[in-house]
Amino acid sequence: MTDTTIDTAPPEAPLPSPVRWVRDNLFSSVSNTVQTVAFTAVLLGLLRWVLGLVFADESNWVSVATNMRLLFTYNYPAEQFVRIWFAAGVLFVAVGASFAAWNINPSITLRRIGVSLMGTGGITLVVALITPSATPSGLRTAMWVLGVALVVIAAVVLRVIPEPHRRRVPFLGLLIGVSAIVCAIMWFVPFGDYGFSEGEPTAADGIVASSTRVPWTVLFIIMIATYVAGRGLAQVVSLAPLRRAMIAWWVIGPAFIVFMVLRDPEFDWAHIWSTDLPMAAGFALGGGALIYLLAAPGRSDLARVLGAIVAAAAVFNWVAAFFGWYPMLQKARFSFALAAIAILLVPNFAGERSARLRVAAVWAGFMVVFHWLLTGINTASTLDITAPPFLGGFVLTVSIAYYVMLASFPLGVLLSLARTSKLPIFRVLSTTYIEVVRGVPLITVLFFFSIMLPLFLPSGMGISDLAAVFAGYTVFSAAYMAENIRGGLQSVRRGQYEAADALGLTTVQRTSLIVLPQALRVSIPNLVGQAIATFKETSLIAIVGGFDLLRIANSTIPNQPDFLGQKRPALLFISLVYFVVAYTMSRASRNLENRLQAGQAR
Amino acid sequence: MTRIRTNRWQRAAGALAALALVAGACGGDDDAADAPADEPAEAPAEEPAEDPAEEPAEAPAEEPAEEPADEVEVTQDGGILAAVQARGVLNCGVSGAAVAFSYTDADGSMNGIDADYCRAVAAAVLGDADAVEFTSLTAAERFTAVQTGAVDVLMRNSTWTQSRDTEVGMDFGPTTYYDGQQLMARASDDFTGQSSVEEIDGAIVCTNAGTTTETNISELAAELGISITLNTFDDYDQVTDAFIAGTCDVITTDGSGLVGRKAVQEPEDQSWVIFPATPISKEPLGPVYAQNDSQWADVVNWTVYATLIADENGVTSADVDDALAGEFGAEMVRLLGGEGEKQTFMGLSADAFYNVISQVGNYQEIWDANLTPVGLDRTGSANALWTDGGLMYPPPAR
Repeated sequence: MTDTTIDTAPPEAPLPSPVRWVRDNLFSSVSNTVQTVAFTAVLLGLLRWVLGLVFADESNWVSVATNMRLLFTYNYPAEQFVRIWFAAGVLFVAVGASFAAWNINPSITLRRIGVSLMGTGGITLVVALITPSATPSGLRTAMWVLGVALVVIAAVVLRVIPEPHRRRVPFLGLLIGVSAIVCAIMWFVPFGDYGFSEGEPTAADGIVASSTRVPWTVLFIIMIATYVAGRGLAQVVSLAPLRRAMIAWWVIGPAFIVFMVLRDPEFDWAHIWSTDLPMAAGFALGGGALIYLLAAPGRSDLARVLGAIVAAAAVFNWVAAFFGWYPMLQKARFSFALAAIAILLVPNFAGERSARLRVAAVWAGFMVVFHWLLTGINTASTLDITAPPFLGGFVLTVSIAYYVMLASFPLGVLLSLARTSKLPIFRVLSTTYIEVVRGVPLITVLFFFSIMLPLFLPSGMGISDLAAVFAGYTVFSAAYMAENIRGGLQSVRRGQYEAADALGLTTVQRTSLIVLPQALRVSIPNLVGQAIATFKETSLIAIVGGFDLLRIANSTIPNQPDFLGQKRPALLFISLVYFVVAYTMSRASRNLENRLQAGQAR
Repeated sequence: MTRIRTNRWQRAAGALAALALVAGACGGDDDAADAPADEPAEAPAEEPAEDPAEEPAEAPAEEPAEEPADEVEVTQDGGILAAVQARGVLNCGVSGAAVAFSYTDADGSMNGIDADYCRAVAAAVLGDADAVEFTSLTAAERFTAVQTGAVDVLMRNSTWTQSRDTEVGMDFGPTTYYDGQQLMARASDDFTGQSSVEEIDGAIVCTNAGTTTETNISELAAELGISITLNTFDDYDQVTDAFIAGTCDVITTDGSGLVGRKAVQEPEDQSWVIFPATPISKEPLGPVYAQNDSQWADVVNWTVYATLIADENGVTSADVDDALAGEFGAEMVRLLGGEGEKQTFMGLSADAFYNVISQVGNYQEIWDANLTPVGLDRTGSANALWTDGGLMYPPPAR
């Protein structure tokens, strides 16, 4: 163990007897009893209503089972599915490695497991008891058996095993257990095999198709193996480089997966060697060298003059592009603009040799990734897709949500810093931006970006629907992110700033090393709340032309001749998908808060 | 102290310049008036050191490849036909959510009569029925997509009306499906297929809000002097659900929609009837394309006619080769690219319609594949051939 894990969980008291617990918690007084009875009745009524929707005669669940492919990947070509599985595999590896890198090792007591099992079993029994008569009898029997089995197992865990509140199941055991249960469900429960071929839905009894269960099983095994390997690695090497690598991966990796793996650009290698590569190398190395030289102490005036000249040139490039004066690769224009910003900011990073080298290296790395991504995005795809874009369904929902969060975070941090800045011009600009964007409904922003933005772009420059939606979302989300982070910034005490100044730290150092870490920690609950909101609000893409989960469930499936009007099952299903993802995020954030507050009592 | 302040202001100035740059990069038109005057000479001189690859000379050839694929296309001198042939793919606008017309199947493929006509045009122009990229358009964005050239042709069950044809920049092709608004009620309420609209006096009529169907039925009721209660819903699934539940006595929309609903959603204990036999409105549905491009209009129109002429002559995708050999008469030989063919005059290859019939089929085949499964019967309807008493009357191919 190179890291120390601080076990902050308070010691858990032994479990009282069920009768005692019920009497103490549910029927301790007259008003308590009345409330218990009334709310139980309401809850049961609601549950009964939802079950009625699920098991109603009109709900044809075959419509959802047959359309799983549409719901998750939309019209991604079937013969290229290996790319989707590869992407999922990379993600699972990254999750496993990240758990290991951050030493996330939440053990859990047997008692907690027992209580969860007891609750699940109890709910299953209640559901079995009150399901409408339309429920297939086999399913009802299965629910009874499952409920009783869960309750019995829970009773054994809680009552037979001595001291369940002291025994802890390690995280690895939990991971293996959950994976085994999911795989077992896929391999043994007879859901039926629903497919679609030759324009007709096909249905067969038995377990789910092997094309579904085998890859998933492999994915779980890979994740567990990566976690074990990562833990092993963590014993021998220091965790810091591993963490840095994982952070870099989480920033760049998803872009790689979406644009290189899923989209599969058909690279024109001759053009890459003759134009793209020299250009990227020129900007990366030339710009890096320039930044390294200009960052030397005492050269800030030179840097500003040069920056202003490059900025003027970049502005001229864009003006020229607008009038179509002389042609130039679009990414050269972008690179010039970025170079100008970088050079203007260089004096803020002036410092020793190593610090300057680091800044130059960051620039070079950024340029390489930037050029590589832009080239990939602008190259035609090899995918044979009849109705573009190549992203749709759950993949689209998750991608948009992820990128919006990723892109709006730095933007939000900058905006919040600007808003709390002492310089009036920054404060006014940032406040105006935030208030304007927050005062406009999200759907308006999305319409503006998907319909109006293309009209403002210079000639020869286009923007795809999805890119426009992504830009709109990011602009919107950043404003809210900024306000959430500002709350955190204001919680950092005055003394922290003064202490930083007393140490002689520069503004950049003070902000990045002292202020932001404290502010962000305080902001976590709000930021996760916003992440969840962003994830759910991606369903608005449906209105501006994207085929996300909601649009497929609401308009695609109910218009297939085989499932005409079958809206309800699909909507219930995507509600479940949204809930599972959002709930996972909220649980993860709670764990993160606990970890970060460990040993940090104020 | 003063030194520090200067430093800070310098920093602010630098950052401000950076911001101005971002602003400049985003909205080029603002700077257009003042910025360029003093810059042009210095921009090229400044850069070479930093970027060896950026040379205006070599850029022109690269520029097209650089642009995103789905950029709005400007119609060039060659017209849409030349643009499609150069691109190698037909951009076809469809609904994507209209049963039997264009819908996405569980395997991600686009199907329906509209989708098949997209394929037919692609087969005629490019020789490959699969060289189509479908764009799903909402009712609101469909005509803009035609005007801006985002789609080459729109096959999105759009009714041909005077205002649409004349006011906005687009033209309508030959009708591929004659639709019309009808009503549907329960047989247990004493309605039959021969019922007239007068019989719905006092009934609760349901339809979706904000559509012409709503206007049509209330106008007709006022004209006939009957009183109805009109309930409107946001979408047609809700209308149908309300009808099944019994809260609506009569529902109304286009006949094709009613038949589809009846075929799939009629409960076993109910019997639904569709009336009156003559629809209460005319809804001719067909292809839509940008106006003032007669060559492209000819291509789309004659692709539709070709499927109808083949239907007239009884030529299906199975016997195109026999038809080309002359077994179905001289008109089919000409149409399929044999002696006397006229397709090359239109800028197409001689076998353009051979590809259409062999890869997609004639009108009856397209009907059987898409409309028969939802219970739409061609016999006796306006969509039958003129020889069978319908309205489908293609001009002769000669």
